[in-house]
Amino acid sequence: MLTYLIRRFLYAIPILVGVNLITFGLFFVVNTPDDMARMQLGAKRVTPEAIAKWKAERGYDKPLLWNAEAQGLAKATDTIFVDKSLSMFVFDFGTSEDGRDIMTEIRTRMGPSLAIAVPVFILGLWAAVTFALLLVFFRGTYLDFAGVVLCVAMMSISSLFYIIGGQWLVSKVWHLVPISGLGAGLDAARFLILPVIISVVGGLGGAARWYRTIFLEECNRDYVRTARAKGLSELAVLFRHVLKNAMIPILTGVVVLIPSLFLGSLLIESFFGIPGLGSYTIDAIGAQDFAVVRAMVFIGSVLYIVGLWLTDISYTLVDPRIRLS
Amino acid sequence: MKFVLLWSDALFFLLLAACLGGIWWARRNPQLAAAWRDVGRSRVGVAGAAVLLCFVAIAFLDSLHYRERLPQAPGVAEAQAQFGIEVLSALDALLAKQKTQTEKTYSAPLATHLFAKESRSDGQGRDFPRLKFGGRHLGDAGDRDADVFKRVAGGAVGGLAAGLLLALVARRYLRPRADWFAWNALLWTLTLILIGSGILAALMPYYHVLGTDKVGQDVLYLTLKSVRTALLIGTLTTLSMLPAALLLGIVAGYRGGWIDDAIQYLYTVLNSIPGVLLIAASILMMQVVIDTHPEWFSTAAERADARLLSLCVIMGVTSWTGLCRLLRAETLKLRELEYVQAAQAFGVSGFSIMARHILPNVMHIVMISVVMDFSGLVLAEAVLSYVGIGVDPTTISFGTMINMARMELAREPMVWWSLVAAFCFMFVLVLAANLFADVVRDAFDPRGRAS
Amino acid sequence: MSNLLSVRNLSVQIGAGRPVDDVSFEIKPGETFALLGESGCGKSMTALAVMRLLPPAARLIGGKVEYAAADGAARQLMALTEAEMRRMRGGGIGMIFQEPGTSLNPVMSIGRQIEEVLDLHLGLRGEPARRRARELLDAVGIPDAGRCLDEYPFQLSGGMKQRAMIAMTLAGEPELLIADEPTTALDVTIQSQVLDRLKQLQRERNMGMLLITHDLGVVERMADHVGVMYAGQLVEVAPREQFFSSPAHPYSKKLFAALPERAGRGQRLSTIPGRVPPLDTQHVGCRFAPRCSEAFADCAAIAPGWHAQPAGQQVRCHLYDPARMDMRQAENTAPPATAAHETPPPASPLLEVRDLKVHFPIRKGLLQRTVGHVPAVDGISFSLQAGRTLALVGESGCGKTTAGKAILQLVQPTAGSVQLGGVELTGLAGSELQPLRAQAQMVFQDPFASLNPRMRIGAIIAEGMRALGQREGVPERIAELLEQVGLRADMATRYPHEFSGGQRQRIAIARALAVSPKLLICDEPTSALDVSVQAQIVNLLHDLQQTLGLAYLFITHNMAVVDYLADDVAVMYKGRIVEMGNAEQVLGHPQHAYTQTLLAAAFTRMRGAA
Repeated sequence: MLTYLIRRFLYAIPILVGVNLITFGLFFVVNTPDDMARMQLGAKRVTPEAIAKWKAERGYDKPLLWNAEAQGLAKATDTIFVDKSLSMFVFDFGTSEDGRDIMTEIRTRMGPSLAIAVPVFILGLWAAVTFALLLVFFRGTYLDFAGVVLCVAMMSISSLFYIIGGQWLVSKVWHLVPISGLGAGLDAARFLILPVIISVVGGLGGAARWYRTIFLEECNRDYVRTARAKGLSELAVLFRHVLKNAMIPILTGVVVLIPSLFLGSLLIESFFGIPGLGSYTIDAIGAQDFAVVRAMVFIGSVLYIVGLWLTDISYTLVDPRIRLS
Repeated sequence: MKFVLLWSDALFFLLLAACLGGIWWARRNPQLAAAWRDVGRSRVGVAGAAVLLCFVAIAFLDSLHYRERLPQAPGVAEAQAQFGIEVLSALDALLAKQKTQTEKTYSAPLATHLFAKESRSDGQGRDFPRLKFGGRHLGDAGDRDADVFKRVAGGAVGGLAAGLLLALVARRYLRPRADWFAWNALLWTLTLILIGSGILAALMPYYHVLGTDKVGQDVLYLTLKSVRTALLIGTLTTLSMLPAALLLGIVAGYRGGWIDDAIQYLYTVLNSIPGVLLIAASILMMQVVIDTHPEWFSTAAERADARLLSLCVIMGVTSWTGLCRLLRAETLKLRELEYVQAAQAFGVSGFSIMARHILPNVMHIVMISVVMDFSGLVLAEAVLSYVGIGVDPTTISFGTMINMARMELAREPMVWWSLVAAFCFMFVLVLAANLFADVVRDAFDPRGRAS
Repeated sequence: MSNLLSVRNLSVQIGAGRPVDDVSFEIKPGETFALLGESGCGKSMTALAVMRLLPPAARLIGGKVEYAAADGAARQLMALTEAEMRRMRGGGIGMIFQEPGTSLNPVMSIGRQIEEVLDLHLGLRGEPARRRARELLDAVGIPDAGRCLDEYPFQLSGGMKQRAMIAMTLAGEPELLIADEPTTALDVTIQSQVLDRLKQLQRERNMGMLLITHDLGVVERMADHVGVMYAGQLVEVAPREQFFSSPAHPYSKKLFAALPERAGRGQRLSTIPGRVPPLDTQHVGCRFAPRCSEAFADCAAIAPGWHAQPAGQQVRCHLYDPARMDMRQAENTAPPATAAHETPPPASPLLEVRDLKVHFPIRKGLLQRTVGHVPAVDGISFSLQAGRTLALVGESGCGKTTAGKAILQLVQPTAGSVQLGGVELTGLAGSELQPLRAQAQMVFQDPFASLNPRMRIGAIIAEGMRALGQREGVPERIAELLEQVGLRADMATRYPHEFSGGQRQRIAIARALAVSPKLLICDEPTSALDVSVQAQIVNLLHDLQQTLGLAYLFITHNMAVVDYLADDVAVMYKGRIVEMGNAEQVLGHPQHAYTQTLLAAAFTRMRGAA
């Protein structure tokens, strides 16, 4: 089993290399630094000097892959590829347009992102599983039907509506919580409660309906019939037998997301003015700050791969068939 | 007049043709016909399909593009006719009044006056100025509420009458031919839609039914124009990557070995980049390409169209991996089935086996995934456009509408109508698509059938 | 002795159909009542109705079930509340299911699953429960019960899983055991061990048993009373001896006659035409009438009632109605003419297999290096003459199917040689194999997986001809083939889902015959079919051999079919052939210990069936 986990871990390396090559291709080959400079500087003020200056300031004035003018080993290392792409493997992302170190920025913004993403993740999972179990317990009744209709309706509402509507109603009309921003210490809870609730409600419909189909599929298995023939009550069957088996497919979808919680939520953070990585990303996209976008792509991929790895581990914990073979 | 065929139009028409072809094919194949009959039997499915078809009709009208011929300048030869720079569609022609009769700025739904006070022209303080077009027929002293009520009633009665007529015809001539079909659901839905459009038709010539936006454009017009964008993104995205997903998924599953490893590696890499960021990066890069090559596009519409299509393709790249994985898994199962081995025993080539034995037996997965993805993509478009990496800002879409309206949320009193209009239309579209998708999945998924 | 369980007029409805219709029987303590019938006749549904575990779509529409425990309390099961019924399930009545592979919770240890029952019905927890669970596992004959407690179902073999299932059922100390096809999913040698153990436990605990099976051998071995079910109804109820010595109902008689037996070598099997009627059929008259060779006018019009026979035998058939005796048309039911089984003169072998090996690599470690091999087929050799039948016999997992596929090069052999008509097949590239593909074809096990559901029958049959370059006269050839396998030529335009299992197997045979092969490899072609349909397919294969001079490599675990069809027999065990020779000799005087076990297990089931 240990070799299995190590092998899965090593598998991450070629994938990260692939991600790195794709970002390199996208940011430096499909479009040259000249194009970026032209776009950043705006079409009107573009002089060759301005472009050269822009590139020099950001270290984009080197050759892409092979520096023929440099000496010795530097021929291969003093290039954009090494400076901007390979350096990401040691989490060196350079500076953003406003001159700040990207890694420092990421570190300080992780906290607020986690403060909102972790409660959303836990509450959301709990609410969806509970709701789905409730529907499955009443399967085939009108309650189940009404619940499914509710789920589909909730899924059909844009997440923007939940945010805009919730913010307007709770903050603006009822004045229950501040509209946006983030306080320090315990005061932060006051700012976080609304975005958390909105995220949980917004994700509930789709998740609950998905879990319901998984539970129902498990309920049709032979071992559930065996459990009933033992004389177990319906609740015991659901909680002791169905839930544990259904956790296996649910884990696949959920565990992989855990590391990505660091990235926070794009929309929620930007609407509620929370200084996390989500709003950082949105601002970077808005400002066309390529260095930050590139860094976030890489960080996101690393976290996703860690998520894949965690999924493997959680499988071995939940499923004896993998743990013991 | 000169017809313009944008790339997205061509693809949209191709898609419609493919759907018609699919219907023809399904009629010949008893199993497909049986599955579709299950959809037709379901009241929810039929109602959802009816609503979707109305949206498709709007999008169809909006895809017949043309450029208007400018008045002949004196002294220019007949052959060198000049055409307007603006690309119009049949829907624009139909809604010419809504398109051209713009107010100065915001006005509430069915309002007769602007939303903001302005200095009066006679210099005596500030007041709500009269709208240029909305409710003009009332004159200055007209009673708006009574007029609106009269028109609403008239429109509703008209719509109801049309609905009843339709019902009569359907019961008399269509029902006996296919009594399994959920005619009642269809007729109820159509009647409701007819009543709604009757009311709109009665009000539209005289009012801005859903108000106007910041620059005075009719919100109802914007919402109807958004439908095409939403439908295109919902369908073309999946379809743009469908050939690749099908080919790679089936080949990976059937061939196995290093080919499988390579394809799996490819989609794990693509999957590991967070979707929004990949879209953001690609769209930013695409924007650079479009900006640096203005000579490729003769009109603004073509430019916006290129951005729309590139958005579809980029979203497709981020979402095809799921379908590819499903297809690979299913192919792995099918490959072991005995009919595939029987074909191998005859020495049938790998390509023929994939084409004749595997492909037809995974098409239900493709079908299900196309309809299931649709609603998610429509919703995603709004979010992406809000973030600024969606469609071109000049393309009218639900996302751009919400994005513009959002700025005015802080205003007191609130400008709520364009937000609400966009959300409501999107909700109806997505809900219909979700319900329809559910029914289609139940009908085509063999697992669902067994239980 | 009073009845432990008495079922009166039980009826279950699904949609418009009645899978269980007016079924009555009783079981005394310590006694076994066997419900016998083909799949889809309502046996399992009856058991589920007694347990009140019907699937959501099914509805109980009538009947009473009385359960009288040893303590003297009689309960009407259908009138209990759900909570009271739960105490009965697992406590008073235990149930064993058919598929041990799927019927145990995969993520719970065996011990926990047993302890769950102990906790629920006996209030045992903790260490005492664990001790008791261990005793139970010992009792059902699981070696090293202590370790098994902490194991998960996937770590046990099929037979062990079923034993664990039995232990779990016994944990609640039930007085009535319902066993739904308890051994169908197991290998023959394991089957008899599990049945023996079940019988012993029943005797020790004086349990009543409702045994559900389609297997006459199992009935003969286990039952005290037999009830034969057909299309949702009981058609005959009799004590075992009476039933086996003189089955009364025409359906029961046919079930016996359709079994291939030792005595019947070379003779045509008696078959039951047609198939079990679909669930939603509206029955008028006798349900078996359309397939009955002794039916007369009244049978189709009037539903027969029960007629008592001597020795406690009861039968639902007009033939036994004294009032109708004279109306019955005397019909000559003489068996069909016997085709002499000629042994063709020996010639040079059509198929020559030498030292064939198929090894699957085991990969392990960080770099997934091949650290070893699983020898699925480990050096087998045999030869097959044109027009002869060689049966490759063995239990599941012994490598016989892999061997068949390796001969056709569907699986790459690791080593060895396969010569077809003198040409070496191993190592040939795809295009070089092409002309040889016409000489050897395969018929697969599962008729539901062997036809592409999206292709018409005609296209399915034509595929092989097209692939091998035959372009002319294809439609005519398809029509000819369909009629040759007993179907109609106009069926070519239909899709597979319109056909029953037996018909599909005929289509699969037609597809293989389309390229006029000399050798047909039949991989368990009858194992997925009902007994009555099995006989039809076996007869068809026999006839085709006579007319076309085909050679068969017949892969099977069914000794009875082997005995009927084979000229030569090769017994496979763990990838090797342990015994090979003339059929008479191998079946009559088995030399190898494994062959002896296999035959003993198979033919105790046949004994007395004649």
